[in-house]
Amino acid sequence: MQIRDYLIRRLMVLPILLIGVSIIVFALTRVGGSPIGIYMSHEMTPEEVEELEDRYGLNDPLPVQYVAWAGGVLRGDLGWSGVAVAPVTQVFRGKLAATMELATAAGLVAVTLGVTLGTFAGSRRDRLPDHLTRVFSVSGSSMPDFWFAIVLLIVFWVYLGWFPVGRSDPAIWASIAHPTGLYTIDSLMAGSWQAFRDAIWHLVLPAITLGLATTAIITRMMRSSLVEELNEDYVDAARAKGLPERLVLKRHARRNALIPTMTVIGLSFGFLLQGTVVVEIIYQWPGLGRWLADAVLRGDQATIMAYVLFTSVLFLTVNLAVDIIYAYLDRRVVLGS
Amino acid sequence: MSTSRKWTRWWTALLALAMVAAACTTGGTTDSTTGGSEAPATTTEEGEAPATTGGGEDSGDVFVHAADDEATTVDPAQVEPGEGGETIITQVYERLLEVGPDGPDLIPGIATEVPTLDNGLISDDGLTFTFPIREGVVFHDGTDLTAEDVKYSWDRAMTMDLPDGNAGLLSDIVAETTVVDDFTFEVTLQQPSAAFLNAVVTSSVASIVSQDAVEANGGVAAGEVNEFMTANPVGTGSYELTAWNRGENFQLGVFGDYWGTPANIDVRIDIAPDTDTRILGLRAGEYDMMEIDPSLVPDLEGAEGVEIYSGEFLLEPIHIGFNTRFEEGSLPPEDTVTPEFFQDPLIRRAFNLTFDYQGFIDGALGGQGATLPHYFPQGMLGFSEDYPVYAQDLAAAEELFREAGVWDEGFTVSIIAEEGNLFEVASLVLQDSMAALNPAFQIRVLAQAESQFDEAHASDPIPYALWAKNSDPFADPDALMQAYIHPDGEWGTVHGMRDMYQDPDAIASIIEEAGTELDTDARLAMYAELAPMLYDDPMWIIAGNEIALNAHRDHVQGFVMNPLWPRPSVKFAFFDK
Repeated sequence: MQIRDYLIRRLMVLPILLIGVSIIVFALTRVGGSPIGIYMSHEMTPEEVEELEDRYGLNDPLPVQYVAWAGGVLRGDLGWSGVAVAPVTQVFRGKLAATMELATAAGLVAVTLGVTLGTFAGSRRDRLPDHLTRVFSVSGSSMPDFWFAIVLLIVFWVYLGWFPVGRSDPAIWASIAHPTGLYTIDSLMAGSWQAFRDAIWHLVLPAITLGLATTAIITRMMRSSLVEELNEDYVDAARAKGLPERLVLKRHARRNALIPTMTVIGLSFGFLLQGTVVVEIIYQWPGLGRWLADAVLRGDQATIMAYVLFTSVLFLTVNLAVDIIYAYLDRRVVLGS
Repeated sequence: MSTSRKWTRWWTALLALAMVAAACTTGGTTDSTTGGSEAPATTTEEGEAPATTGGGEDSGDVFVHAADDEATTVDPAQVEPGEGGETIITQVYERLLEVGPDGPDLIPGIATEVPTLDNGLISDDGLTFTFPIREGVVFHDGTDLTAEDVKYSWDRAMTMDLPDGNAGLLSDIVAETTVVDDFTFEVTLQQPSAAFLNAVVTSSVASIVSQDAVEANGGVAAGEVNEFMTANPVGTGSYELTAWNRGENFQLGVFGDYWGTPANIDVRIDIAPDTDTRILGLRAGEYDMMEIDPSLVPDLEGAEGVEIYSGEFLLEPIHIGFNTRFEEGSLPPEDTVTPEFFQDPLIRRAFNLTFDYQGFIDGALGGQGATLPHYFPQGMLGFSEDYPVYAQDLAAAEELFREAGVWDEGFTVSIIAEEGNLFEVASLVLQDSMAALNPAFQIRVLAQAESQFDEAHASDPIPYALWAKNSDPFADPDALMQAYIHPDGEWGTVHGMRDMYQDPDAIASIIEEAGTELDTDARLAMYAELAPMLYDDPMWIIAGNEIALNAHRDHVQGFVMNPLWPRPSVKFAFFDK
């Protein structure tokens, strides 16, 4: 099947999956209680509570409420965030930009280090560098991010004073325009080296924390794939025809080892976006994760539903993209078969 | 060159660039001015160009407070008592009278005198209060304050009457507001009130807003929120809000045209929900101050450059409520108690005698607390060390439980509390105390997420027989009595106290009389009569009262804290560094 046909078929299935996901999300959030909880206090009379429930249509049957909510989603209205005191859609844009920037930075750290270390270890199998890399990957994937984040803060914030928390210096942030909401990009667009430096300075610790576990996973995946590829006959053939080992590794073995690694990388980006909750809270990063945590604790159901819906769409899209990239990297893969 | 090789090189180059850029700033400091009085007030909606959180920058010219939560509104007519918005309202708005820095004494604010019977500003019948208004007071928008603004502010809150606000505090007591002349404001009450000055005039909802600013931005509509005022305060305080970056920080600039002693330093309030981050930030010197509770003292004690302030008692005792007004079958299935169970005063007294107060204070409060009489917190008018106070007495408790006829068969009752805080600990202490007394006495502690607990706690009837929390902060005993003790008051109704008290009418009568008595000595005598009655017929277990704690850097000058001010119980205008 051609990539185009496959893409069309997957896109046609996408809305059905999304409807299913949205029903599950809606039902599960209602299990946690009424959305009116965030607005309630003891000072309210029963009439005032009733008035609020009427205003938000919460006395209607659940299917009617679902249709009203889903209709709003289709119109781009995801409801009102009681936590942010603003429409969810409006808040989402800014938060998403902050989280995307952090996840992308973490992804860059993870892919760069993971592929490099994995290649390094795989090509030196059972030698000291391989053992050291294994130690790194095991400890990296087993260290809890909340603990690692605190350790980094103690060392680099409290004792050395090198890197701060937060997303930016208030004065520098205010000195440039923010058309995209991505601080690094905005600073480059504004031509402000000071702002770019500030953006990177604030990104370093949260990106390393967030990317650590993914780095470890990619490293292990890349190493094992490479070891497998280096045992293949075509590698022997390449060596036999006199290709230097460096070219055998980079042109042949590593390219093929990247295929399974690519699946992990693709899915990891989704996990990076989801994994920002703890990192954003600890580093005071004003993104989706921190907003979600606050929403969960305070019962802000509109925000929770929007977030879960967003991550569902994200995973479906990332899966689709990975399948297509997979087919591009490995011509033997037949899409849709 | 292969694609992967090109990408690897590109990523490596980008990362190297980033690390170099970061390294260039290593240890470097950036000027972090946060809007002075000239800076335009900017309020950023969440999602729109979210400006910034500090930390890590040189904060030498700004006082940085690390707060654990954020306001949802800074409109006095909309803010809920105890909510984060009160922190900002306290600094940017003023009221007719203010609570001074030392204790509960009132000092002039926008009014130039504190009304008393002696100075004739309170009428002989106790119904009319006259406030001479200060001349030369300017709002942050440059307009002059007159008595019209005062009347407008109070009437506005009562007209809006927002369910999430505190307008009832005014409308329950005020009959009429009158502008006598440009600088004289008069209030007529529905009935004399001993709590009017301390509890109403000084409250956030009684803050004075600029009539011009409100009328130019949406005006007043009954039951409707004014979106402008929610985020753009226009007051007369020594600080003006220069920026509110939602989810990140508030920035307060010194107001240059303030009528009184001006504030010394700009303030930034960083929203830092993670406790560890706040502690590390204070230790790192990035924050100048943070609120703490006793559990955090060990993390900060002895830290270089950090001072821990231990002052007066908070006015928010931690208590466990007895609920008898639940519906049949609404309690968790494990519970064996009926509404009649806690209607029995023997049972309630026995619970009070079983609780391990000292264990709770020494353990959970780290020794930074004390027990208190029912229901008079230390530092509040009416408190006396002569009143009886419960202490653990297991022998007496056993006697009462036997007399009530529940000793042999035992009971199981669930208690709800918000997880991970002192209220959950108080519940666990009750559980342990009961189990130690009699293994057949089972307390099931249901620690719930904040939203779950809030929903259960705000429901009426509450589907649990016990719950643990702290009281709302009140500046006057009458407000506290009305809320927590009066059989027909807020919690009296929810818990069914009329069916619990042995003599509900006597209790109600004393509370009501004391609430309208303007002679303080006569009022204190009434509370002295009430205290033993409440001891014999307790509606709560009062686990303890915390001492007000605060941690700040040692370079902070002029530090003063008063639990009667909304949390964090400070006024930044006193501070410098």
